[in-house]
Amino acid sequence: MKVLIANRGEIAVRVIRACRELGIPTVAVYSECDRAGLHVRYADEAYAIGPNAPSESYLRIDKLIDVARRSGADAVHPGYGFLAENDEFAAACRDAGLTFIGPSPEAMARMGSKTAARRVAIDAGVPVVPGTVEPLGPSVGEAEIARLADGIGYPIFVKAVAGGGGKGMRLVASPEDLASAIRAARSEAGSSFGDPHVYIERQLAFPRHIEIQLLADRFGTVVPFVERECSIQRRHQKVLEESPSVAVTPGIRAALASAACAVARAVGYTNAGTIEFLLDRDGRFYFLEMNTRLQVEHPITELVSGVDLVHWQLKIARGERLTLDPEATVRPRGHAIECRIYAEDPDNNFMPSPGLMLGRRVPGGPGIRRDDGGATPGLDVPIYYDPLVAKLSAWGEDRDQAIMRMSRALGEYEVRGIKTSIPFFRWLLDDDDFRNGRFDTTFLDRELARRNGEPFVAVPEAAERVALLAAAIHAYEGAARAGEARRSRGATPRGWTLTGRMDGLR
Amino acid sequence: MTIEIEINGRTRAVKIERVGARYRVEADGRVDLVDVARVDRSTLSMIVDGDREASHEATLLEGREPGEIEVYLRSGVVRARVAGAPGQRRWKAGSSALGGPGGPQRVTAPMPGKIVKVLVKPGDRVTARQGLVVIEAMKMENELRAARDGQVKDVHVADGDLVEAGRLLTVIE
Repeated sequence: MKVLIANRGEIAVRVIRACRELGIPTVAVYSECDRAGLHVRYADEAYAIGPNAPSESYLRIDKLIDVARRSGADAVHPGYGFLAENDEFAAACRDAGLTFIGPSPEAMARMGSKTAARRVAIDAGVPVVPGTVEPLGPSVGEAEIARLADGIGYPIFVKAVAGGGGKGMRLVASPEDLASAIRAARSEAGSSFGDPHVYIERQLAFPRHIEIQLLADRFGTVVPFVERECSIQRRHQKVLEESPSVAVTPGIRAALASAACAVARAVGYTNAGTIEFLLDRDGRFYFLEMNTRLQVEHPITELVSGVDLVHWQLKIARGERLTLDPEATVRPRGHAIECRIYAEDPDNNFMPSPGLMLGRRVPGGPGIRRDDGGATPGLDVPIYYDPLVAKLSAWGEDRDQAIMRMSRALGEYEVRGIKTSIPFFRWLLDDDDFRNGRFDTTFLDRELARRNGEPFVAVPEAAERVALLAAAIHAYEGAARAGEARRSRGATPRGWTLTGRMDGLR
Repeated sequence: MTIEIEINGRTRAVKIERVGARYRVEADGRVDLVDVARVDRSTLSMIVDGDREASHEATLLEGREPGEIEVYLRSGVVRARVAGAPGQRRWKAGSSALGGPGGPQRVTAPMPGKIVKVLVKPGDRVTARQGLVVIEAMKMENELRAARDGQVKDVHVADGDLVEAGRLLTVIE
């Protein structure tokens, strides 16, 4: 086996590491700005695939297939994002005689349509969020949709059938807002996904986002894992995940696992995938959708199960049988938390903060795992891609210890030159409601609205004195150094600028 | 040597001298004796003599303006301005981002992207933190906000425009 990784950043590095552990040669691809990226440096071979815009490089199926041919790779790992859930890419790999490390294009296409996926769940006897079963095409009129919405009950979400990531999605509180929401969702779905079909789902009260990771081999064995809790979201984007969930009892866990396996079996799913559910306050859960790929937050499952999911992805792809004990994988071994460290400024409305990373100090020690590769010192965080710098995960014997370790690690973590979400996470980890597990998917947006821009970066007064001492010593040593340099050159001592001194120190 | 250091809008005269292997630093009517080890070109390990031997690590990076430095500490980043060493050029009051208000606020695109929506028009009164322009970049929609209260002088873009990084979007007076 020789694997082409059709991705970049931390996930490409993650896959390369697994391949290297298994003795599998790796092939990286890169756009112009990623030439010096960690994934290129780590891989055995690396091929340029074009300009920075994803549509001209990482999304170019033809170029990726061509690199596979030229390099002699016989398998392709798509990572997440880019082409990971594109069934045309999976089919193109198969047509080119390459093993796609993921499900079949048919299973992917079926779960890619949100309404088809809901139908699969219903047929498998798994509850879905109350809503429409059939996709609502452009020919379905507003009056008809209004009638359907009344039957479901407000508040409702209008969602794109081909959607994801909060795009093409509108929340409608009452009937008078329905028509404009339908128009907006259809238009956004059409422009973002090339498919204007929408469907309606009721908005649950106090929903938690709970998902089940699973692995499935080619012989019909499906193994579920302990749930992940991903309710900490900002604008429908996960920012922190943990496993297990404080809201899931052993009974709910068993029911979730069996529901997830039923859905996966119904579509003949293979390789790694995740079934997302919403869990209400009464412990009832509803199928939401399936992610037919490895997910960003997979490390926390690895930490609480002790299983390397990427190893298994590779082994399943080369035809091996799953030998994991399905009883053991649903028993949590301690607790794990992941923070997605983004290049963004939490004190400026989480504005992306791309640019040059000047330096960093990274956390380590007991229970800490860091997956980086999104950016390393001396390199730019590119403006063209997801601004994920690194994923920081902490494992503890229980939730409290995992939180303590994460807080400690966030304190050690320093990224210089660009702003990151680290200060935001320091605040979040200290929040009472978070610490007590009292939250749902609306929690973070509500908390942030309530804070109304109150800065996360609050430097204590005592630090001013330390900064003053450091600045004085730095300036003094700079002056001394500049003086020596002048004397050694035999120049007359004259006025000089701080800039000059600073340059001398860099 | 006496150095002027401004932190959080307050300037102090800081007296610093070598005393044996350590530094004696006097400021705000307080004296500290500091043992320094350089970790690398920009990072200092400091042990400050007091009731206890407090250990601090500081990384110093040059800011955009001459004399501006960012001091990275365990608890966060402190911005400082340094002047007053022999021959050191002095800064002009209110001349930089540290100097607080003064001059119109020029809102520029922080990155290349697409203008999703312009939320203000010339003549509008805006308050601090009010949204001005929504720009889509790096897969996200981002709202650029006013830094302080003011009035919209010009708007240089319209919905749907593609802009380069640094492009002037609007000016707030």
